[in-house]
Amino acid sequence: MASYATKVKRDIARWREAGMIDAATADALSLDVERNGGGTISFGSILSMMAAALFAAAILIFIAANWEAIPRLARVAMLFIVIAAGYLGGAEMKLRGREAFGEAAWVVAAAAFGASIALIGQMYHMSGDERQAIFVWCAGTALAAAVLRSGALTIGAVLLGGAWMVMHAVDDWALQLPSAYLAVAAVLYLLSFWTRSAPARHLVLLSLFLFAAFLYARDETFVVPIVLIALSVALFAFGRLQPTQAERMLGLGSALPVQALVGFLTGVGIMQVELIDEQGFLAVSIVAFAGIIIVLLLAGRESRTLRWLAYAAFIFQICFIYLVMLGTMLGTAGFFVVGGLVLSALAFVITRLERRLSGPPVVEGEWL
Amino acid sequence: MNRRTLFIAAGAVAVLQIGFLASMIAGRASILRNGQEVLLSVQPVDPRDLLRGDYVTIGYNISSVSTDLFAERPQDERNGRDRTVFVRLKPGEDGIWEAVAARYDQKPKPAPADGELDIRGIATSSWYDEATLINVSYGIERFYVPEGEGRAIEANLRERAFTMKVAVASDGAAQIKSLHDGETMLYAEPLY
Repeated sequence: MASYATKVKRDIARWREAGMIDAATADALSLDVERNGGGTISFGSILSMMAAALFAAAILIFIAANWEAIPRLARVAMLFIVIAAGYLGGAEMKLRGREAFGEAAWVVAAAAFGASIALIGQMYHMSGDERQAIFVWCAGTALAAAVLRSGALTIGAVLLGGAWMVMHAVDDWALQLPSAYLAVAAVLYLLSFWTRSAPARHLVLLSLFLFAAFLYARDETFVVPIVLIALSVALFAFGRLQPTQAERMLGLGSALPVQALVGFLTGVGIMQVELIDEQGFLAVSIVAFAGIIIVLLLAGRESRTLRWLAYAAFIFQICFIYLVMLGTMLGTAGFFVVGGLVLSALAFVITRLERRLSGPPVVEGEWL
Repeated sequence: MNRRTLFIAAGAVAVLQIGFLASMIAGRASILRNGQEVLLSVQPVDPRDLLRGDYVTIGYNISSVSTDLFAERPQDERNGRDRTVFVRLKPGEDGIWEAVAARYDQKPKPAPADGELDIRGIATSSWYDEATLINVSYGIERFYVPEGEGRAIEANLRERAFTMKVAVASDGAAQIKSLHDGETMLYAEPLY
């Protein structure tokens, strides 16, 4: 869809050239259109991003195949051309108002940068730290995102940074989690404000929850989930009590309580798994239910995503607790009967709640 | 952003990234060109894991270094794992270079005599009380081959003794130069 935003931006450029508005107004208007006009992600931009992902994968696999028919210096040159053409071509398309294609071309260029690192490693038989290679790729992509103010590249950098962190966690028997990831996450979070990429912010937060889970796996101290729960509660409270401030500082839109709930459930889940067959399990589970219900009652009205996450978590909790507490006493058949009853009850409650909560339409924030 | 700034920005990103990659290539080529040559014997590693995808994993006669050669035992919580190690090499009678001394973090003292050199690696095992060998990785443990050729090379590697010519820069960084089967050279790395 040649989106509304594209059309308005074309008009703004025309008005500016005609001298009807000055440059500052034109920039402010374009920015506003970008921020608010493109609220729904268009089909075209999704397709072009998927195409970019396919091109990126093709480049990376082509390099991995180490095909001898093309001399390696020619392969390097090809990749360099893709990098230059991708960044410059992307800029050209952006200026013509083709936002999505421009971003997609930049993503392909950033992928070619990563492929070049892999190719050079292959050329010189370098072995060793793949994590370092990923980190360099992440840094290069973040730099490009900052200079070009690109949301798609910001998301790319966040994904690469997350991959870097996960590789540390799974590569090594000793679970060497880099505490530097906290700094990386902070930088990328700040970057997402400059590049105006809300999805990148959400991904950073989700990666931090994963980081906390790994941290717990490494240290096995309850400090980790307790801090995570406390921070999630604080995040939720901040969003409720100071909504304008929270939006200005965190920029999470209507998905703020969703993130808080995910963080809360991660923390509680860690404690539950650890306390299975122990005294505290029931107490923690009650906290989990209380948290879900409080969030639902306080913030359920504003966000559909939040409501469904809360329902899912609720159902998951019931199954989980059943398996832990009663699984040995009743048989499987009993579980199915109980499960059926519980699900019918839930379905009844959820339909009632949905009817009450969905009331007047509320503007949904961008949530991926 | 107006027209010119966006183009300049895009050009700058391309130049920065390509420049970085070119400097990586130049660094490797300079080790190949200026590095001192050593000859190492290639040893097959764990046969099940020898070939992964498009490269052959290889070990060397200096991949495990005896704890006796180290100046001191590392005192840290991971017992030296993942720390930089410098290993002093000296050619043996058959022309294959062997480890004669090693040290964590710094080059062994005193400075290498004529015909010796220090190679840099990372300790990939910990120094426990009963340890007699420390595994060291030098960044030359992979040999990339065209897709599909790996199995044949892997089979040959287990049958015969291959040797690898490796270039070592003055800071200890190592770079594969050529693979030899006895007197015949199988693969040689061009500079670029």
